[in-house]
Amino acid sequence: MLYLELLFQGIVQGSIYALIALGLTLVYGLLRILHVAHAALFTLGGYIGVIVTNQTGSLALAILAAMIVVGLVGVAMYKLAYEPLLSKPPFIALIASIALFIAAEELFRIIFGPYGLSYENPPLQGGFEIISGFFLKYGEALVIILSILILSVLGWVSGYTRLGVSWRATVTDPDMARAFGVNTQHVRYLNFFIGSALAAVAGVLVALLNNLVEPTMGSVPSYKALAIIVLGGLGSIRGTLLASMILGVIESFGTIYIGHLLDRDALAFGFLIVVLMFRPQGLLGTR
Amino acid sequence: MAYEITLLTTMAISVLFALSLNFITGFCGQISLGHAAFMGVGAYTAATMMKASISLLFVIPVAAVFAGVLGLLVGFASLRVRHDFLAITTMGVVFLFVGVVRQQEFLGGEIGISGIQQSVLGRTGFMLLCVVLAGVFAGFSLLVKRSWLGFVFDSIADNEDVSQVLGIDVAKYKLFAFVVGTATAGTAGALYAQHYRFVGPDSFGFVESISVLAMVVVGGIGSVWGVMFAAAVLSVLPLLIQFVDDYKILVYSALLFSMMRFSPDGLAGIVQRLLNRVRNR
Amino acid sequence: MKPVLEVKNVTVRFGGVTAVDDASLTMQGGDLIGFVGPNGAGKTTLMRVITGIVRPHEGSVWLEGKDLTKLATNQRIRAGLALAQQIVQPLRKMSLLENVALACGFSKTANPFKALKSFDKSAEKATARELLRRVGLQDVVDAEPSKLPLGYLKRLEVARALALKPKLLLLDEPLAGLNQSEASSLADLIKTLNQDGLSILLIEHNLREVLRICPQVYVQDLGKSLAFGNSNEIMNQPEVIKAYLGES
Repeated sequence: MLYLELLFQGIVQGSIYALIALGLTLVYGLLRILHVAHAALFTLGGYIGVIVTNQTGSLALAILAAMIVVGLVGVAMYKLAYEPLLSKPPFIALIASIALFIAAEELFRIIFGPYGLSYENPPLQGGFEIISGFFLKYGEALVIILSILILSVLGWVSGYTRLGVSWRATVTDPDMARAFGVNTQHVRYLNFFIGSALAAVAGVLVALLNNLVEPTMGSVPSYKALAIIVLGGLGSIRGTLLASMILGVIESFGTIYIGHLLDRDALAFGFLIVVLMFRPQGLLGTR
Repeated sequence: MAYEITLLTTMAISVLFALSLNFITGFCGQISLGHAAFMGVGAYTAATMMKASISLLFVIPVAAVFAGVLGLLVGFASLRVRHDFLAITTMGVVFLFVGVVRQQEFLGGEIGISGIQQSVLGRTGFMLLCVVLAGVFAGFSLLVKRSWLGFVFDSIADNEDVSQVLGIDVAKYKLFAFVVGTATAGTAGALYAQHYRFVGPDSFGFVESISVLAMVVVGGIGSVWGVMFAAAVLSVLPLLIQFVDDYKILVYSALLFSMMRFSPDGLAGIVQRLLNRVRNR
Repeated sequence: MKPVLEVKNVTVRFGGVTAVDDASLTMQGGDLIGFVGPNGAGKTTLMRVITGIVRPHEGSVWLEGKDLTKLATNQRIRAGLALAQQIVQPLRKMSLLENVALACGFSKTANPFKALKSFDKSAEKATARELLRRVGLQDVVDAEPSKLPLGYLKRLEVARALALKPKLLLLDEPLAGLNQSEASSLADLIKTLNQDGLSILLIEHNLREVLRICPQVYVQDLGKSLAFGNSNEIMNQPEVIKAYLGES
């Protein structure tokens, strides 16, 4: 029974990791930027989710609002912060991104206060019994369902639509894509919009599970998501999904069984380093 | 006077620490997001020994060796990965370090090690030691830049594959840079332990690794004078901008971002451009 | 006198594909050999086996009687190989002079400790200047590589390779991407270098220039050694013509 519970916890955590890390992979695949400030968009999503839910009482509306606003902020971030740095060495954009992230955390603290916000009437409380003695919270079920739904839609869009083809062409060879009439600039905007909107969904969901958003809620995802996309093989979407799930499950079991030796983060990074020593290109990366 | 001595000691330790990262990242082109781990190894080694009443002057070289040995190990691991993979691997090293230290009772666990005695040098003497060590390493860095070693580092930072084709044993040079840089970080760590008379797992984490990288980048990656200046100023900046109290981290991060956005080659780049303008007049 | 280069029965497989299949080649000192073959013949792969970027599954590579097979690229360079790459790779933050001078200083850069003890660069810079003059780049020694056209950078590759004082110079498609007059003047330079005594193995698609300057050619097709010998005779052999033109 404990195994099953740990496994489900791992899958829930893994789904959240996946939603966050996927946007990061999209950005990396296209622009080769390690976009740390992505985690700030995740936090922003959480704040918008709580505020809109408290104002309107509708969680669905909150998720939608968070996706749109955060998506637009993501595009603005690309336009103002990253675009001018694309020709510079990669660590320049990385440090700029870290600075952006720290500044955003401070802004959240200054604007919304240091203690965070909660739902006034937390939606989706309680849970249901899957098998006797084993409960899954409604919130956790929503996390898993929404992740599967969103990822399926994305998979379908990238595989079977004109938009998806343009996107993949731009990732593979921007010059060639441009020659075939793809507006690569629009693809980049869209890329940031979608990636940021996914982070926003994750933010709302995490806020729901913890019934709390606080300024520092993005600190762990800021570096953990980087570890995940590197583990998956930088830019590989399937690799990112795989790595998210593996890490979610490993952390969930690891903290119980070897938590006295290594804390959660050390566990994740220890696993990352071991994998990279054997596969320097990540789990599903190509060289 | 006591305040000035504290300030100057803080600056000197930061300068030494930043120059040690500059050796790896600025000279040899190997990015590190986990450099604080090596300072941590030095600091913990020194703290443990000083608690056993061993003299600071003996403690410093031991701390350097411990950090350098770990640096060699991490260096070997780093040979397998490049660029962004290297960045995240080094980031992993600092999380592993903190994670392991937290769980070790003999290292004080979460609480850390406090109550380290002051050395026989006294405050002023210790400050002088820090300044001298930072100065010596700065001199060494300048010497390396002028030598063929600096020339080879430039080529490795530029393009490893080409360096191989020019007959350069890239692995050997990278390991050299790693060992020198991490041993020096260990030295800075020993000084840190003596200066604050306390070490804890939170003093050498990811945030500290980013701060020191920020010093290097703001100064101008690879520029010895730029990095020294940036480290000296940034290490005491939080104290200097007390007047904006609640907004000080915001100001700090905004400065860092603006620097990357408008002058990615750092202060050294700005000075260089100003000089060129004056010369061309 | 030992042959300058011996490639003995080299086989390389990638996954299920055999890129090089039991290829062998022997070069005597002073040779200028054109290494040709249609696309997909495994030329670049064999070149990479010689330089040590690709490890062969079977076979060995020898330089003046020394077995290179287990050495890393940089060690092979120190043993006397030099390579001018197909895709030009200048060190972009250095001037042309510094690019070549770094290669000239190969004895000072053998290890970090030796490099740390050496400061003077004047002798290497003088040699570098001379080499750049030899390849016709004397007017742009202080230029940044990124501001120069491809033809100049191809010559820089050659100068940098010469700076290593090689026993054998490997040229990987030096003429690719150049216009006819640039190509033929670089080909002339290659011929002159050979006449001055340097052994050269030239991979090249531009058959016209290869046949003009190379006394001997080595032909590879589908990973196999197809023919080796006097250029004009070889290019008239029916199987060579077939490899180039396909079944007809």
